Amino acid sequence: MTEERIDEGIERYATSVAFTDAEKAALSYAERMGTVPETIDEAFYEELARHYSVEEIVELGAFIGFNVGFHVFFGTLDFYPMFTPDGRLVSQEESRSIYGDKPVSHLSGSVAGANPEAAE
Amino acid sequence: MAVVEPLPRDKIDPGLGAAVAEAEALGTPDDLFFRILGHVPGYTEALYDALHRSHALGDVDHRLKEIIRVRLARQANDPYFAGQRSKAAKDAGLDEARIEVGCGDFEADSQFTAAEKWALRYASLMFTTPKKIDKSFYDEGKTHYTEAEIMELGAFIAFHYGMQLFMGTLKGLPGS
Repeated sequence: MTEERIDEGIERYATSVAFTDAEKAALSYAERMGTVPETIDEAFYEELARHYSVEEIVELGAFIGFNVGFHVFFGTLDFYPMFTPDGRLVSQEESRSIYGDKPVSHLSGSVAGANPEAAE
Repeated sequence: MAVVEPLPRDKIDPGLGAAVAEAEALGTPDDLFFRILGHVPGYTEALYDALHRSHALGDVDHRLKEIIRVRLARQANDPYFAGQRSKAAKDAGLDEARIEVGCGDFEADSQFTAAEKWALRYASLMFTTPKKIDKSFYDEGKTHYTEAEIMELGAFIAFHYGMQLFMGTLKGLPGS
């Protein structure tokens, strides 16, 4: 796994050739859950069911719901990772300059929809 | 028709029997939660435990957390969790009228304390305008609650909203 693949999975997965149809469906499930959950209807679940078993869909759905809830909460705590991407232990102030002011992972593009305030 | 078919009751992992009984005694979640999450047995126990501990245990008033739980379920468009009620909260004096006020304009209510209003505001802002939950907001919270209680509330809000969001997408469940 690389940062480039994470970025592509966040911002361009729908048109990317790097993801399978199954992976695109799972990524769409996550994006919709955090932004437009009302679009996760029976037709969407039928599409998911073409790629995943019921067990896998419940696993994905519970995982995504849990993460949406907890990441928003943690986002309010203004905490940043203890380590740099290359594994160096840093202060919260330095970590914020890495992950917050100039984030390694994205706060723009499609993910901005998950937290509209981030795009302000 | 449910988009995810609940397991038959007799297919719920027998090891979850105590959890199912505990949830039934509280009144939430009902056994449909176990029949849905039961598709992933490894998840069920951990997720139930997180929901139960954060809601029914801890130091923050359970009645207040019950109001917050219902408010969040409505916000998540989740009729499943929104339709359930804690028997413990009801036994402790919480009624539907108080839940309605807590789900509505609680700021204008004269019965909620300043601490309760802060907690309700915390839940209300978390998934609508989380940027408003800043240092000054937490500073105000600390005038009412310990840091442990604030973490208890924050984790409770996050766990429950996350599960409500997922369950809300499962159209066709009873109550939908």
